[in-house]
Amino acid sequence: MNAHDSNRRKTLAGLVAAGMSLIGAALAGLVGAAATPRAVDRTRKWRKAASMFDLPPDQPFAAVLADRHADGWYETRKETVVYLDKVGEEYRALSATCTHLGCRVSWNLETKHFHCPCHGGVYDRDGRVIAGPPPAPLAHVNVRLNSQTSDIEVEL
Amino acid sequence: MKGMWASLVDWLDNRTGFRWLRHHALDEPMPAGTGWWFTLGSLLLFGLSIQVLTGIGLALFYAPTPDHAWDSVRYITTGVRGGAFLRGLHHWGASVVVVAALLHLARVVFFGSYRKPREVNWIVGLVLLHVILAFGLTGYLLPWDQRAYWATVVAINISKLTPGFGEVVASLLRGGADIGALTLTRWYAIHVMVLPLALVTLVVAHLYLMRRHGISGPVRPQAGPSQMFFPHQAARDLTIAMLVGIVLAVMAWKGAPPLEPPADPTSSNYIPRPEWYFLGLFQLLKYFPGRWEVVGALVVPGVAMGLLALLPWLDRGRSREARRRLAVLIPFTFGLAVVATLTVLGARDAPAVSESRWNIQEIGGAAMVNTSERCTRCHRPDGLAAPIEPGRISKPGDWVAMHIADPEVIAAGVRDAPQGSKTAQAETKAMIAAVSHLRSGPPPALDSATTHVYSEFARQCFSCHTLDGAGGKDGPDLSHAGLKLTADIIEQRIIDPKSVKPDSDMPAFGGKIGPEDIRAIANWLASRK
Repeated sequence: MNAHDSNRRKTLAGLVAAGMSLIGAALAGLVGAAATPRAVDRTRKWRKAASMFDLPPDQPFAAVLADRHADGWYETRKETVVYLDKVGEEYRALSATCTHLGCRVSWNLETKHFHCPCHGGVYDRDGRVIAGPPPAPLAHVNVRLNSQTSDIEVEL
Repeated sequence: MKGMWASLVDWLDNRTGFRWLRHHALDEPMPAGTGWWFTLGSLLLFGLSIQVLTGIGLALFYAPTPDHAWDSVRYITTGVRGGAFLRGLHHWGASVVVVAALLHLARVVFFGSYRKPREVNWIVGLVLLHVILAFGLTGYLLPWDQRAYWATVVAINISKLTPGFGEVVASLLRGGADIGALTLTRWYAIHVMVLPLALVTLVVAHLYLMRRHGISGPVRPQAGPSQMFFPHQAARDLTIAMLVGIVLAVMAWKGAPPLEPPADPTSSNYIPRPEWYFLGLFQLLKYFPGRWEVVGALVVPGVAMGLLALLPWLDRGRSREARRRLAVLIPFTFGLAVVATLTVLGARDAPAVSESRWNIQEIGGAAMVNTSERCTRCHRPDGLAAPIEPGRISKPGDWVAMHIADPEVIAAGVRDAPQGSKTAQAETKAMIAAVSHLRSGPPPALDSATTHVYSEFARQCFSCHTLDGAGGKDGPDLSHAGLKLTADIIEQRIIDPKSVKPDSDMPAFGGKIGPEDIRAIANWLASRK
């Protein structure tokens, strides 16, 4: 094999490798594009959480908000839990999602604290961390009282 | 006849070369002294084979959608011939694979088998371990029960801690805005297609590299002739596989742990716990509060894995004997002890918070659901709808409420609920409360007389009176009624309140509740001190 043939062979090998890489990259790009989730519309809106008469005086009230939710091809209902509370004359809404790893906190009647069942996070009634690994207080959700309907509304 | 058979085999060998393949696969010379410690790799291969075969069996029936996944797994357990055993084998088989992989890894470390020239095979083995753990993680979500859902919530939130692109990783794992249908199909595809492909590739690479360099053999080379893998070492492999197979079959005979209630993102009384092989990591996360979370979730496991991966380059002495490699073996043993301790601590940590106590209204409501013609005319074994079973109510709460208020409703909001009497409304509320609680399991077992009293109280009294923190606020709290009132006075107050207390605004129940029921309620309230 002379030098000319050798160069031709190298060039051809390079072209074959490039072509195969191109096909591989195109297929990987296609699968990657399909696997990348679409951007999510996170527009918030005001929604009824409970009637002001539902709130017990001595403990936060767990309100479950259900909303129609398109989960890809699957039509479902997204249910969100917020804890409503009355502080003086004001209302307060705290997210029921633990800021550590996303488990659902619950109000403990005996300790008067929010407890996370996963890794032992504890929050006080204001949502402040008092024990365990949570890195931040429970998220505050915007809340208002609709004076016409007496409904407590939250912005989610 | 024999000549024909031999000719046929010769022809097949000529066309396929299978004799060369058989010779190459089985006639591997093993160093003298190779013994039982070298059966662990084959045991792992045996476990993986069981997972593949039982996985195919399960995939014949499994439906990866939120509204069918739980039911399809339930059907596998109760409706498929041998289904409970099949699922049990797959469930416990996963533990066998993890144990075999860890033992194999430990054997390689203690024997120094990762040393030159086997560095690449050591790395391939570590990647294989991660693939096995990924199988466990993705398979966990598939039954779509409470345990599956909440373990996945935690796993995806851990992925958010990845420095720089945590949200991207979490989004790729989730598939959609929240954990739901797109997560389930994604994890199913990873579990049955991506990971098996990776597994086969890595196992083939691992075996190829093992054959290329030969097995490392005993730590101290022994004199004597080498033996062929087949049948000597193969007999040891088979013995271990059969013993483990028997243990696995015994464990699987009782099936996998029972399904928990269907996934409920609003549940606040469920205590999520991961599978045992992730309990160490679960426990570790508790020790790193606030912004140190990433250290427990990623840095500590990452550094440990990194050190393991670098072992062939850190441990380069000549001798493979343990006493000359204490600098490696002591930290490694310490690491194993830490993982084991964390796992035990994680297993022992079962908070008592989540005891979901049934209140009086819910117990009474559950009795009504079981006996009310409104429910039982359809929900019965041969009825139009399946019987109501605790722990398998997957419809959303307001759908259930609407359906109980108006049983012919097919979707919440389609038709207004018919207005009934106050008693009918109280009944409806009690049944709604009961069905909501039935999601997480059955009510406490009580005798029929007590259940009847609870039903009557839920129907007639609960909307005005509080009992143990639940109930209406119009009337006095009756949690400790027996401290102040006798059964006779309570009975009289129920029949005609004004005869005992002229300014009472409580309605008279004398003609509304039967005398025997009033007496039973009064006795029961009087017993509450």
